[in-house]
Amino acid sequence: MGNYTVGLVGAGGIANSHLPAWLALGVDVVVFSIDGAAPALVERHGGGRVVDSYADLLAVSDAVDICTPTFTHRDLVIEAAEAGKNIVCEKPLALSEADTTAMIEACDRAGVQLYPAHVVRFFPEYVAMHDAITDGGIGTLAVQRFLRAGSAPAAPWFSQKELSGGLVMDQMIHDLDFARWNAGEVTSVYATESPSLREDGAPEPLTAQVILTHESGTVSYVTGVWSRKPIAFQTRFEVAGDGGLLQHDSLGNPPIAFNGSTDEVSGYQPTTRFSESPYLTEIREFHQAFLGGPAPRVDAADGLAAVAIAAAALRSIETSAPVSMATNR
Amino acid sequence: MKIAVMSFAHTHALSYVRLLAGMPGIELRASDPDHGDRPAGESGGAALAAELGVDYADSYEELLAWQPDAVVICSENTKHRDDVLRAAAAGAHVLCEKPLATTSEDAEAMVQACEEAGVNLMVAFPVRFSPAFLALKEQYDAGLLGNIYGVSGTNNGKIPGERSWFTDPELAGGGALTDHVVHIADMLDALFGGATATRVYATANDFFGGDPRVETGGLVSITYENGVSAVIDCSWSRPASYPVWGGLTLHLVTDAGLVDVNPFAQRVDGFSQDARNALWLGYGTNSDELMLAEFLTAIREGRRPQPDGQLGCRTVRIVEAAYRSVDTGGIVETTRDSARA
Repeated sequence: MGNYTVGLVGAGGIANSHLPAWLALGVDVVVFSIDGAAPALVERHGGGRVVDSYADLLAVSDAVDICTPTFTHRDLVIEAAEAGKNIVCEKPLALSEADTTAMIEACDRAGVQLYPAHVVRFFPEYVAMHDAITDGGIGTLAVQRFLRAGSAPAAPWFSQKELSGGLVMDQMIHDLDFARWNAGEVTSVYATESPSLREDGAPEPLTAQVILTHESGTVSYVTGVWSRKPIAFQTRFEVAGDGGLLQHDSLGNPPIAFNGSTDEVSGYQPTTRFSESPYLTEIREFHQAFLGGPAPRVDAADGLAAVAIAAAALRSIETSAPVSMATNR
Repeated sequence: MKIAVMSFAHTHALSYVRLLAGMPGIELRASDPDHGDRPAGESGGAALAAELGVDYADSYEELLAWQPDAVVICSENTKHRDDVLRAAAAGAHVLCEKPLATTSEDAEAMVQACEEAGVNLMVAFPVRFSPAFLALKEQYDAGLLGNIYGVSGTNNGKIPGERSWFTDPELAGGGALTDHVVHIADMLDALFGGATATRVYATANDFFGGDPRVETGGLVSITYENGVSAVIDCSWSRPASYPVWGGLTLHLVTDAGLVDVNPFAQRVDGFSQDARNALWLGYGTNSDELMLAEFLTAIREGRRPQPDGQLGCRTVRIVEAAYRSVDTGGIVETTRDSARA
């Protein structure tokens, strides 16, 4: 098939999840990456064509999928919008609310769609939990807890807060977004973070803790970990209401388990091989919207709200005080 | 050794009485004079004493006139102060149910009274005696975990249903924050060797039901002087049909990786058709027994037991700060000086 072309920008970690999803949908894909990694990406997944510039990519694409480091999102999205392309953009949409707003305004002006790739909203265990809450399965939602822990990402830009926003903005934004999806707008954010460097300058395990109070009165707690010690990727949640509670641990109830392996495990991204890739579910939903289908479960306004919550958490860490979201609206 | 149990208001009293009754060399007597104030249907008084097979005194005066060596206080939270002072005045060593008090002023007065009377004051924090926690502390102290960077603790239970006073602010002093922050605060104090809390933030709601005058859900962030941040979920978030009362867990981010501690993990899982519910058959060590052993051994050896009244004060200050944070929406700095006072 070649009647719909997506321009995939970037050939790093997340492009390896997005490219096979587009290919599975039978979409024609062109790839551009400034780091020269595009040919290897295309070869690895057996599909897609490499183009030599962003201009070349925009010239042949119906839509673009931005899978580049966060600090480049703003300019790439605005350029794509001005070229009239619908856009999928990896989360976080940008490093600040101002940049995110500028991107949304550019898309509105151009009349194109913009969707942030908050993929946790497409993970089946999280969907099952969210649907149960929405259906009243646990009554009034009172307290939520989320854990997301993995080995620290290898690409150096992740560890530079000015480029990635750090652990809170890059990784924990998944759960901050999900907490808001379940419980609604956030009124107050309090966060702490372990220091990112030892006194001798060596890296150490990085963890942050974010507490949210929602307008509804629900309270949420998110823990994130980028471990320097290699660890298996792990997520957990527990949501509790006055009618019951739901729990999940990604390392619990494995569909297949080995006893005897001594291999060191290390994971930055979740394992998704036991059900349809949530990245495929996500990309399909965005693709359908681009073709005139229903609105996806997550939109640019959600992406902006998630950036705002993460930015408030970062301000809370800096100031050692809670940050009121009301003043940010 | 003569041990007196003051009040059956807290149902932990039943566990303590059963365990003490089985220990050699212990003479046991109990009094529960306020049981008439509890709603009809709540067990107590001479009838419960008879059921437990323990001698009964009609009043605390009569109980203390028996000249016990030690007392175990299981009254409602806000009565702890008067009861501890009464026991100390009678020259008895004291084991007081947690929380030690509902205000730091009360807690400090209790510590002072016991010091002046020359009697031990211990707070009933059994979970620090669990083999799971001791294994954590052993590994941390041996340097196997390296540094600890963050702790997430959960102490979630049902809304206490056996005793209505738990959700009466006059008697309990508060709800889930009062009931379920102090266990983990005690364990972290023990783990960090008495490191004091420097900053507390908390948020709470009352969505789980119960008496609307008290919070039933809450999250508390504590930053310690050693730089570690801990968040405690103290919510009464287990539904009434939950197979057990609740539980307590710790999750730690360390140099060695992530550590999960679950003192109640040792259980057989099942399902009961009669109960139409899951069956959890705990088979782990009884931490109450280890805690009582420390209380009694310390008396016999003439030393101060742990966790002591000072520690109880530190945990009460954290809860007090949490309530202030909920009221103001801001953080509460617990300065080193006042925390050590």
